[in-house]
This record gives sequence, structure tokens and C-alpha cells, in this order.
Amino acid sequence: MTLRQSMAGLHTWGGLLPSWLLFVILFAGTLACFDKELERWMRPALHEPVAGSMTADDVSAWLRANVHETLHAYWMHGPTERAPYWKLGWEEDASEVRGKAAFDPRTGEPMPETVGGDFFFTLHYNLQAGTPGMYIVGLAGMFMLVALVSGTIVHRRLFKDFFTLRPQANGQRAWLDAHNLFGVIGLPFHLVLAYTGVAVFVSFYMPAGAKVAYGGDPLAFFHEVQGGYHRNELDRPAEPPVPLSGLLADARQRWGGAELGWIVVEHPSDASAVVSVRRFDPSRIGAPQDALSYDATTGELLHQQQAPAGYRAYTWLAGLHMAQFGGQLVRILYGLLGLAGCAMLVAGTGVWLRKREARDGRGVALVRGLNGAVFFGLPIACLALLWANRLLPETLSARGAAEGWAFSLGWMAVALLALGWRRTPARLTRTLLALSALLALGLPVLNGLTMPDGHLPASLARGDLALAGVDLVLLAVGALCAWRAWRRKPEPRDASLPTEAGVRTPELSR
Amino acid sequence: MIPFASLERWSLAGRISAALLGGYGLAYGFTAFFSVYLPLARPDRVVVASLSCFAVWVAAAVYAFAARSAGRAWLVLGGLALVLGLAGFLSGEWRTRP
Repeated sequence: MTLRQSMAGLHTWGGLLPSWLLFVILFAGTLACFDKELERWMRPALHEPVAGSMTADDVSAWLRANVHETLHAYWMHGPTERAPYWKLGWEEDASEVRGKAAFDPRTGEPMPETVGGDFFFTLHYNLQAGTPGMYIVGLAGMFMLVALVSGTIVHRRLFKDFFTLRPQANGQRAWLDAHNLFGVIGLPFHLVLAYTGVAVFVSFYMPAGAKVAYGGDPLAFFHEVQGGYHRNELDRPAEPPVPLSGLLADARQRWGGAELGWIVVEHPSDASAVVSVRRFDPSRIGAPQDALSYDATTGELLHQQQAPAGYRAYTWLAGLHMAQFGGQLVRILYGLLGLAGCAMLVAGTGVWLRKREARDGRGVALVRGLNGAVFFGLPIACLALLWANRLLPETLSARGAAEGWAFSLGWMAVALLALGWRRTPARLTRTLLALSALLALGLPVLNGLTMPDGHLPASLARGDLALAGVDLVLLAVGALCAWRAWRRKPEPRDASLPTEAGVRTPELSR
Repeated sequence: MIPFASLERWSLAGRISAALLGGYGLAYGFTAFFSVYLPLARPDRVVVASLSCFAVWVAAAVYAFAARSAGRAWLVLGGLALVLGLAGFLSGEWRTRP
């Protein structure tokens, strides 16, 4: 067997099996490029830009007044251009329970709960499944790297095929052209993003370095590798802290007026309390690693982080993945290339299907069902989440969880439909396209009816393209789905489906 | 092209496990080895070795399917992983030098 043949087998099966999981990761990652824009869309209080007067001290005063447990740490981030509000998170000491709040810049009170744009980011890196999810995503990333490399080896005419698209050709040829087109357009991007993606969690995925060179002492590893600072608890109650504003002014001055990022207060009720301030600099790919650590009681500067070259290289790679640099143009480019990745996956399963449909191959109905369940299920679930965000009353308790249920139930409904109708794929596709169109086109309308400051005419009149962009993309997606549903013939002779006999034939899968 | 139909089932299972387990084992041994022997300061050694390990795993997975047989793939990947890992972990005091 030649190298190309063995790589073709590896590419076909190593690519097909994780393709639905990879679609979830790529699609959620594409949306996560615009997490802060979606977050603003999902929080009506932020629709009309206002310059709030809240300070870091107001945020910690709110925390002291509302959370009475002893805290292990709390962290906050001030308003930025894309996220114009204070956000706060904390962890309780004994129970390790975490909480968070986002503050309305007009009132200084927490805004109604929502999962926000963060939902898509979390879905992207751990499938909303915690640590096991993070490992599953990492393994999927490795499958993607192997599929990209083996796909490149399989490809006979990488350059020539790049200019070939024959949508009117027979099914398999057209799907293969599309798979090649999107695969080759995105190849450098997909290679870099898959590699930097697994690299972000390298210390979890590959503990060998810490084990061998630091004797498995994680604290020593993190201190030396990050050049960071940590002070152990003294088990004495803390004296009253100095105001944060003084420390922040000092940090700003040391950095020549730079914007500030995360502010972290470690064990605030202990005499050892430390305030660390990070710099926020979206003009750089890698986030600056020169955090300042202050004594929370005296305000004395204890330490300035000096990250070794290796760690700065790591943050550069992570920054390349996270797309927090360079402004909206970079994020739009990332978004488009992410969509190209999704299209590559969809077309890849299309090639697999068309090749086997003609021969009533095994697994055709299953792959079709999974395609419908995931390639339609996830986008429709995301739309259901946005609908829930607009329709659920603001006073509802556990409102974020209710949004999550809308997402999950929406997805389950589509998955059941797709599996139930897997033998009538044309009807299934047409129905799901029409449903997507309805949900996507309905959202800007609903927005217009319920959001006085956030609807499309209002945001466009303000020149607020970040907010208007969400509605505009929904309109474009809805129109595209409606057009495709309209153009599709009701039920063509797509009945070349596996018969009972075809499924049972003990023929080896080819 | 019928890539897998001609392969015996056990041979395929051998290649898959070599790509997954042997590949990870090699990446682990590689990271341990270069975290010790790279001529850099300790934090930089560890970061450079760790960040490169995914490329090693990808190469190993491709090799597991390109190799002449599953047994050979296991022999090469497992052997290399063992040698690199032992050389890394048995380097005594030297492995924790700053």
C-alpha cells in the first residue's frame, strides 16, 4: 500500500469520526470571536453606550455588602471599548463555590443574569463539560491536526484544485471540490488555530515537563515558568485594605497611562492579602506579562512579574488563538476562516456520504442523521438561546440556567427530528432550513419590538456597528436559509437510501 | 482505493492504538527528554519541549499508519518513547537544575 493510500484511509476515518465534535468546537469558536458583541446584545442595559462612574472600590464594596462567606479570591475587570461594564467573579474559601456579577453602568447594580457571549467561549474550549470536556476538546484538536496533515498528503493537486469548483458536477465531485476549496483556503489558519488551540492547555495535556524538571511540584512550576507572585496565608485577620483606586493609579502611572486589565485580590480576609493588576493591551498578540502585585493593607509594591522568554512565547501562541488583538477586522477574518472550517467539515461528510449512497453503504443513514442533528442542531440551538435571552423575564431566578435549557432542548428537538427523518433527507433539510430562517429573521423583529435602544434602526442611527452587526448577521443568515429552503425541491427522487437488505448485507465497509 | 478493507482487523487496531497511545507516549518521552537536555534555562526548556510535543504526536500518528506493519509502528514508537523517557527521568539531580 502506498503512503497516499494509507493516508487516504486515515483521512477518511480519522476525519469522519470526530467531524461532528469538531463542528461544535469550530462553530462555537467562530461565535466566540464575537463573544463580547454577543454579550452586549444579550444585555439590554448595555445597548445604549453610557459612561458609567463606577470604580473598582464600588465593585469590592458591593461584594463586601452582598457576599458574606470568607473568600479565597475575587477578580474584576473594568469597562473596555467592547465590554463597557464592570465584571466581577469570586471564589469562596471553604466550599470553592464560584459566583459572578456584571454591573449596569447606569445604576451600579448587577444586571439580570444571562449566560452571555461567554457561553459560546466555554462551549468552544470544554463543551460546557468542565475538565473532562477540556480533555475531549484537546483530543479532537489532535484529530484535526492529523486530518489536516493526512489530507494535505492525500491531495494530488493542492494548488490546481484550489481554483476548481464544479457545483453542477455530480454529487461527490461537487462536495469534494467544496471540501478542497474550504480546506485549502483555510489550511494555514486551521493548522495554526488547531495547534495553538491544543497549546493553550499544554500544561494539562502534557505534564511531563513539570514532572521531570520540577519534580511534579505544580506551584514551583507555575511560579518559575510564569515569573508570577504568590504569598501564602498568614492565618491572621486582615487590617482594613487601602482603596484599590490608589493602587490602580500607581499601576497606570508605572505603565505610562496604559489601560488596565484583570484586577485580582487573593485571600482578601487574611493579613497576607495581595492585589495583582494586569495590563490590557489589545495592540499586542500576546497579553503583556508584567503584572504588578501590591500588599492589600499597606499598598506597598511587592513584585513585578518578569515572565521568562518561553512563557512569553506561550502567551503569544495563546494570543494568536484568542484573537483579542488588532480590532474587529482581525476578528471578522477569524470568523470567516472559522466558517470556512465548518464548511470544510460539512463538505467532508458530504463526500463520504455521496461516495457510499450509490452503493447503499453501511452507516449512510446514521451519518445523515448525525449531520442533521449537529450541523443544523447546533446553529438552531444557538438561535433558541438568543430567543430565550429576549423572552425570559428579567426577574426570573436562575435565568442563565433557563437560557441553557432553551439551548439544550432546542438542540435535542432538532436531533430527534433529524434521526427520525433520516430516511427522507430532502424533507429534513428543507424543514430545518425553513426553521433556521424563521428563527434568525424573527430575532431582529423581536429585538425591534422589545428593545427601545437596541433595535436595528436605533443602533444603526448611533453608528453602533458592533451591536447592529449581530442583527445584520442574523438577517443575512436568515435570508440565506430562506432562499435555500425556497430553492430546494420538495422531495426529489432522493430515495436512493439504504434498504433493509442493504443495511444487513455483511459487505465490508469500503 | 480500498485502504482498510485489505488490512486485518487486528492490524488496524494495532495501528490505531499505536497512533493514540504510542503517539502520546512518544510525545511524553520527547517532552521529558528535552525538558532536561535542552541548553536553556529550566522554565524555557520545559515550555519549548512541551509546546513542541503536539507536532511529535501528529508525526507519530501519521507514521503509525504509514509504517510497514502495526508491529513495526509499535516497536518504533514504543521504543523511542521508552528510551527518551528513561533518559529524561533517570538523569538524576541534573534534571532539576535551574
